[in-house]
Amino acid sequence: MKPENVLVVIPAYNEERAIRRLVQEIKLCYPHFHVVVINDGSTDNTVGEGEAGGGVVVSLPFNLGIGGAVQTGYKIALEGGFDCMVQIDGDYQHDPKYIMSIITPVLSGELDLCIGSRFLSPDAPFRSTFLRRIGIRFFAILLGWITGIHITDPTSGFRATGAKLIRQFALYYPMDFPEPEAIQIAKRYRAKIGEAPVQMRSRLGGRSSIRYLTTLYYMIKVTFAILIDTMKKKE
Amino acid sequence: MQVKTSVILISLAIFLLVVDLIRRQKITFRYSLFWLFTCSVALILGSSPRLLDRLANLAGFTLPSNFVFFLLLSFFIILSLLLTLYINEQNSRTEILAQKIAILQQKLGELEKKSGPEKGSGG
Repeated sequence: MKPENVLVVIPAYNEERAIRRLVQEIKLCYPHFHVVVINDGSTDNTVGEGEAGGGVVVSLPFNLGIGGAVQTGYKIALEGGFDCMVQIDGDYQHDPKYIMSIITPVLSGELDLCIGSRFLSPDAPFRSTFLRRIGIRFFAILLGWITGIHITDPTSGFRATGAKLIRQFALYYPMDFPEPEAIQIAKRYRAKIGEAPVQMRSRLGGRSSIRYLTTLYYMIKVTFAILIDTMKKKE
Repeated sequence: MQVKTSVILISLAIFLLVVDLIRRQKITFRYSLFWLFTCSVALILGSSPRLLDRLANLAGFTLPSNFVFFLLLSFFIILSLLLTLYINEQNSRTEILAQKIAILQQKLGELEKKSGPEKGSGG
């Protein structure tokens, strides 16, 4: 499989502090990959910084939220006929070094969806806050119970997707807090889902899309969405 | 004026107003359907108090007027549910358009960049 056929998508909302460095790093490590920054209606200089780093910047006319931005990436991947799409956060939290580890199982056809897990690497320096870890455990158990697959890091937005799921996610992708739900959707399409160890850092810029006030909404929404998805028609 | 007359007059007025809105293309048939249906029900029940009485009894209401209030409330609940549905429909369409525009804009920019220098240097 040609290395040119990998698309790296960086959803970015007001990430001017980190985006240039991130794009440059990806370009340096993987000169053959296509790098697209999805500017999700940023009010700062995310566009300029992304372009300065050498990335292609696609600007949404207004803020759609992380799901809408990532789905734009899937649409670009589908149109461009890419074999694999990597999603990586724009806040420098995900180390681009590990892109290779998450795309390898997808490119070899071993997996359709490979999630970068911060809990699988033995000497991870950053494992998120205590409260966040409880939430992650909750979704891990819920998804394990529903899909039968044990995912250690279901909220991770560092993931690689193969052509089969690119097609489905381009058509439908959850709009807010999409990560755990996308795993259930993938399962519904009988995708092969797995994880690869990655290391995460504390963020360099921007804010997490999960804040305290929205935590309750997040938990209820995602749980509900996963349960509803199990009632949808199996493909 | 009898209650019967005023009910019939008002229902008829709303019915005709909705029909006129369709005629003037301010509202499509799809979105007016619920209004036309409700007006027809109001017309039928308004013109036949005996039917209203019997339906109220059947539904377990002692007073037919309470039944009327119940119907009215149900109408508004269903209407707001429909409106929520329509808003959502618009939302997802706007989303698709936004994504399409963003992708097209990027492609257009790339094309302009490619053809730009050629123009400047004369080939």
